Amino acid sequence: MTKVQITIDGQKIAAEAGSTVLEAAREAGLDIPTLCHHPALSNWGACRICLVEIERQRALQTACTFPVTEGMVVHTESEKVVAARKFVLQLLFSERNHYCMYCQMSGDCELQSLAYRYGLTEWPYPRPVEPLAVDATRQYFVMDHNRCILCRRCVRACAELVANHTLGVRERGIHSMITADLNVPMGESSCIQCGTCLQVCPTGALMDLKSAYRGRETQVERTRSTCVGCSIGCGIELVSRANHLVRIEGDWDAEVNKGLLCVVGRFEPLFDDRQRVTQPLVRRRGLLEPCEWDEALGLVAEKLSGDSLAALITTRATNETMTQFGRLFRSLGAEMAAVGSLAPAPGAEGRLTDLAEADVILVVGADLKKDHQVAGAFVRRAVDRGARLALVADADNGLASYATWHVGFDQMDSLVGMAAQASRPVVVCAADLPAEAEAALAPLAGKASFLGLSRGSNSRGAVAAGLPLSRGGEASARVLYILAEDDRLHIPRNGAGFVVAQASYVGPLTDMADVVLPAPIWAEQSGHVTNTEGRVQSVQAALTPPENVWPTVKVLKTLAGRLNLAL
Amino acid sequence: MSPEEQKQPTHPETPTAKQAQRSMLLTALYIAQAQYGHLNDEALQRVAERLGLPLSEVYSTASFYSLYRLKPVGRYVIQVCDGLSCHLAGGADTLVDYIRQKLGIRVGETTSDGLFTLQTVECVASCGTSPAVRVNDELYENMTPQKVDRLLDQLAGR
Repeated sequence: MTKVQITIDGQKIAAEAGSTVLEAAREAGLDIPTLCHHPALSNWGACRICLVEIERQRALQTACTFPVTEGMVVHTESEKVVAARKFVLQLLFSERNHYCMYCQMSGDCELQSLAYRYGLTEWPYPRPVEPLAVDATRQYFVMDHNRCILCRRCVRACAELVANHTLGVRERGIHSMITADLNVPMGESSCIQCGTCLQVCPTGALMDLKSAYRGRETQVERTRSTCVGCSIGCGIELVSRANHLVRIEGDWDAEVNKGLLCVVGRFEPLFDDRQRVTQPLVRRRGLLEPCEWDEALGLVAEKLSGDSLAALITTRATNETMTQFGRLFRSLGAEMAAVGSLAPAPGAEGRLTDLAEADVILVVGADLKKDHQVAGAFVRRAVDRGARLALVADADNGLASYATWHVGFDQMDSLVGMAAQASRPVVVCAADLPAEAEAALAPLAGKASFLGLSRGSNSRGAVAAGLPLSRGGEASARVLYILAEDDRLHIPRNGAGFVVAQASYVGPLTDMADVVLPAPIWAEQSGHVTNTEGRVQSVQAALTPPENVWPTVKVLKTLAGRLNLAL
Repeated sequence: MSPEEQKQPTHPETPTAKQAQRSMLLTALYIAQAQYGHLNDEALQRVAERLGLPLSEVYSTASFYSLYRLKPVGRYVIQVCDGLSCHLAGGADTLVDYIRQKLGIRVGETTSDGLFTLQTVECVASCGTSPAVRVNDELYENMTPQKVDRLLDQLAGR
């Protein structure tokens, strides 16, 4: 990379040619304030807060858009700059409602902290604020236009990152407002509630119903982990306070998702209202009654050693749990399975990043608006860039409007032939495809890169631990052991005489079980999971499980001990 | 198009297919407005579909420009010039007041029979014959209340 010599605030800096003044300054550890700028989004230059003085330039320039040139001399906090920033802030504060003390973002708000930084002590302009209606039509988060500064980060996130293009800005001047589609309520729009806009909003305009007012940045803990909502395995940050999950954010540095999340990963875990299992339970006279671990494990160990045995495990479990589970039940001669499945990959296995380079993307049997939604965002981005989408799926597929071609399985061959002619084709396959569809992909082996989307978050980890995959309903044995943790598994009893459920929540499995062993939820355990690309990623515990809930691996090891198995 | 043709344009200022579609948006909206009378949801949807652009982008653009109409207007849109020359010619205020009273509507409103909409506009490029009034695409010059009377009667009788 070519370097150019520039001077910022008297400091000589070798900046990368082509970078902006802002990037060069930040690289050198200098702080130029920003509002509309976000590192994950295109540069906009709309808010004017990053104005800097550049010698030999007639007017102040926006650091976020101005490219560095050889010999450039920049002043980032000169008297002129400070006066301009203060003026910009005064204008921003003169529109709409910025009474910070009532806002959930108070203390963490980028606008508020700039007001402190530049000493805004009064409203210098009359504030003809007409209250605007709050849009609370979405399930998980609210848009309060009264707090919006129209920086358009949300609009750019929706267009550039999620490629969903729901958001826009209506009208102009003082009447400008963030809007959705043809000016409809957010909840009736094409919004997929991924919450990326929420994550980039610099003020309190976008409010997460769950985390609002539940803790400022200084009061919460952040734990980097991996989402187990599906097999993409997005990098996340778990935001917690006093052993409660407050919020989940996409990890901007994660290679897999680069900050993106979907509704499943960002919101659903926070709205899980199932009742926890907090102690071992044993069924007596038809009713589940609390008991000690010792008694429950004794009873389970006794049952495991005798009859024919089937053991099922959720694919939300970590690799460590899978391994321990495999060792225990293999030595007991059990019929084992993990509840998930892999997608076919008749050729070279690809990565999600391949989508960014593809010219033709063939999606087979997957609805990426419903499942693996982050992959859906990457496909839409590719289409925006000029790649063409060939869809082999039902007519109501969520990406239908992005597709150049859309056929059913019966006409799949034509699209396979077309993809074979492309220069960089990528095939995205769902799991559990009809056998004919799998066979039809064969001509693309050696030509396309294959991105299989396995069903179950950690199906690949299960396979690596030597566990066969299944739908979960096939096992029939006298004794059934189900390690479900927090998964919503539906497993039939199939005539088993004795059922053990190792579960985090009360549900159909515990209703059927003879012994229930309490299990931690995913956010309470550390370990690793293997995503659908084969990437082994770390899951970190952000919460401590309830007092009487043992780690899953400890339960499996204790059982092995009781059965005198050396594992 | 073959993958070869899909390749990025070699000249950096050659628009991509997407940008080319986007550049047609203003014209497409103008045509749709002429067909539908105003840009209702159906018109906007059709424009979005034909150009392959997001609804949000089409709406943002249509609502940004004041010459696109998102709400229905009367069969005849009366635009009274409010520019400097028409003011000096002593016309604009008098004419607007006169038409308001005669039609019983305020500026920006439409008569209940759906016939007339009254607007003020900023210069219709007819300063030499001010005060000027435009009805739909036709220009009426050197206007007086008496001429307005005759014009409205004539339009209502059409």
